[in-house]
Amino acid sequence: MTAVSMTVNGKAVTADVDSRTLLVQFLRENLRLTGTHVGCDTSQCGACVVHVDGKARKSCTMFAWQAEGANVTTIEGVANGATLHPMQEAFREHHGLQCGYCTPGMIMAAIDMVHRLGHELDDKTIRQELDGNLCRCTGYHNIVKAIAAGARAMK
Amino acid sequence: MSASGIGAKVRRKEDHRFLTGKGQYTDDISRPGETRAYFLRSPHAHARIKKIDVKTAERMPGVVAVLTGEQLAGDKIGHLICGWMIHSKDGSPMKMAPHPAIAAGKVCYVGDPVALIVAETLAQAKDAAEKVAIDYETLPAIADPAKAKAGPQIHEIAPKNTIYEWHLGDPQNVAAAFAAAKHVTKIDIVNNRLVPNAMEPRVAIGEYDTGNDSFTLWNTSQNPHVARLVISAFVGMAPEHKLRVIAPDVGGGFGSKIFIYPEEVACLWASKRTGRPVKWTSDRSEAFLADAHGRDHVTHAEMAFGADGKILALRAKTIANLGAYMSTFSSSVPTYLYATLLSGQYAIPHIYCEVDAVYTNTVPVDAYRGAGRPEATFVVERLVEIGAREMAMDPAELRRRNFVRTFPHQTPVIMNYDTGDYNASLKKAMEIADVKGFGKRKRDAARDGKLRGIGYSTYIEACGIAPSQAVGSLGAGVGLWEFRRSARQPDWQCGGAHRLPRARAGARDDLRASGLRPARHSDREYLDRAWRHRQGAVRHGHLRFALRRGRHFRDRESARQDRDQGKEGRSAHAGSLRTRH
Ligand code: FES
Ligand code: FES
Repeated sequence: MTAVSMTVNGKAVTADVDSRTLLVQFLRENLRLTGTHVGCDTSQCGACVVHVDGKARKSCTMFAWQAEGANVTTIEGVANGATLHPMQEAFREHHGLQCGYCTPGMIMAAIDMVHRLGHELDDKTIRQELDGNLCRCTGYHNIVKAIAAGARAMK
Repeated sequence: MSASGIGAKVRRKEDHRFLTGKGQYTDDISRPGETRAYFLRSPHAHARIKKIDVKTAERMPGVVAVLTGEQLAGDKIGHLICGWMIHSKDGSPMKMAPHPAIAAGKVCYVGDPVALIVAETLAQAKDAAEKVAIDYETLPAIADPAKAKAGPQIHEIAPKNTIYEWHLGDPQNVAAAFAAAKHVTKIDIVNNRLVPNAMEPRVAIGEYDTGNDSFTLWNTSQNPHVARLVISAFVGMAPEHKLRVIAPDVGGGFGSKIFIYPEEVACLWASKRTGRPVKWTSDRSEAFLADAHGRDHVTHAEMAFGADGKILALRAKTIANLGAYMSTFSSSVPTYLYATLLSGQYAIPHIYCEVDAVYTNTVPVDAYRGAGRPEATFVVERLVEIGAREMAMDPAELRRRNFVRTFPHQTPVIMNYDTGDYNASLKKAMEIADVKGFGKRKRDAARDGKLRGIGYSTYIEACGIAPSQAVGSLGAGVGLWEFRRSARQPDWQCGGAHRLPRARAGARDDLRASGLRPARHSDREYLDRAWRHRQGAVRHGHLRFALRRGRHFRDRESARQDRDQGKEGRSAHAGSLRTRH
């Protein structure tokens, strides 16, 4: 067992976990933050993307103890109370989701994209940047539209 | 675009919870005292299980139980079934082989579950699985459907690995039409097997309530009601009133979550044996072995054309690979869902189709996206396209010449088309694709050293599982009937936005005028026949009927009022009311 402590969505958390516990398991099973999903076992799908110290990370590809002392944000920590984050709002407005399973990872990756690349994102950039996020339902078209609009709305 | 009703822009009602991480998928559920399940699966395509030794595994840390197929049989848990009866040409019923939830004595494909390890944590269950010792005697295996009949026999019940040899249509008329043909196009095509891979892996949580001697199953399901029926009436887990099946949000299905799977049965059974809730979550790699696959047809087909390019007849012979066991609806896919659409959008006077369904040592195959219908379209459209090229005709013109133009149109393969304007959609598609400008684009591409091509395909799909007459005549196990009533489910979704089409189509005043009421919860028992998101297809047909009826009532009412006022009746629509079934 290993003791881990970190800040998740602004709250300090600490727990004793099996040292092979992945960050995503810690979030979902220990903290019951089930908005972060698991879609693969090969680091390919991006359903598990969260922010660790402000950067997008695949929470299935790191151990919980690797986030020791870090500031973690999950999809549950993105909205401002009842007001959706502009990226969430853009996904809703542009029908960027169907079953919703990939959506939390998409939104977390999209916000990170804006932080790194700015507010004017063209289709080609967005598609390239979404390399690590898979969606089985939408065909991506509306996700790309949503991210471009969300990026502008985040100005 | 109108501001309300069909065609209006409407926001989905279910999005908020998905955008904020508050959706509830099956894996998000944790039951008090829950254990985790891991299935040890066969590494062999075909093998006899000589011995399973679970003693060491049972003593591993955190292990609650290690369960085998023998124990499952000992507890008299029944087999999984295929719910759609197909009879062969000779009248014999399909050869449904026993399909236990955990293999006993023999494994038939890579991935066949051989033991279920229940432990406090998943890691502990996986560790213990490594200690289960199984002595296999491998047997020769067959994976190629085209060679299945000559392959090693997999199930005692099915000589030559043949499940059924089915046919539809009139071979004599077809042969006569071919004899009179000006041109015959022949093709051999393979519609390859694929893995559905919804983003959300499958999950099953079984919980037994000792107080009430009843079960609850939470599962990633496109049709929980059928799951309850099959697990109760056929598997024999418990009477229906003592089995509750709950399907929360589903992260995509694509057909693969329609079926009743071994893991669901095994987790329920294990929950009773252990007295603890048992939760299984598939991982992605496992899903390739554990989820029913799609397609896998090998087909020879021929099309007979007259001098003017008119299609005279079509015949097809398909070998359909159903895998190692018959999955829940597998038999219907290459028959009812396939051969009945071989007419495509064309007026084809004569069609004959033969389908041989076979077992192979592969993952079971069942309905996947469109199921059978895309397979039919592939056959028809390849025939037309290749026919056009062989006869040096414009492929669009050949299609145009053969489109169904008068409705209702009775095809030679059961279906009756009520409406359509196929030429209009082809025209629109050609405009959008800028077919006129294609020559220039091709020349430009050639200058850049690139090849550019253009192809056509038209498509027709009979959505949902309907009409009931066709379904009944082609073997649906539990039979169907039709009633017209609007279904309203609280909030369920599977990626198809159930609430949205309702919001759109709910031109509420019109509905009210029709005298219909939304369905109560208790009306939902068998709405599964619409396969959830395909409810749109089924429901809108009914809605159309309802609106016609509404108009009929309205007209009758105003006619009555007019009459009362001594005026001429205006029941213009009263005579046009007709049912389509
Ligand atoms: S679950 Fe992390 S990348 Fe797929
Ligand atoms: S919306 Fe279903 S996987 Fe993306």
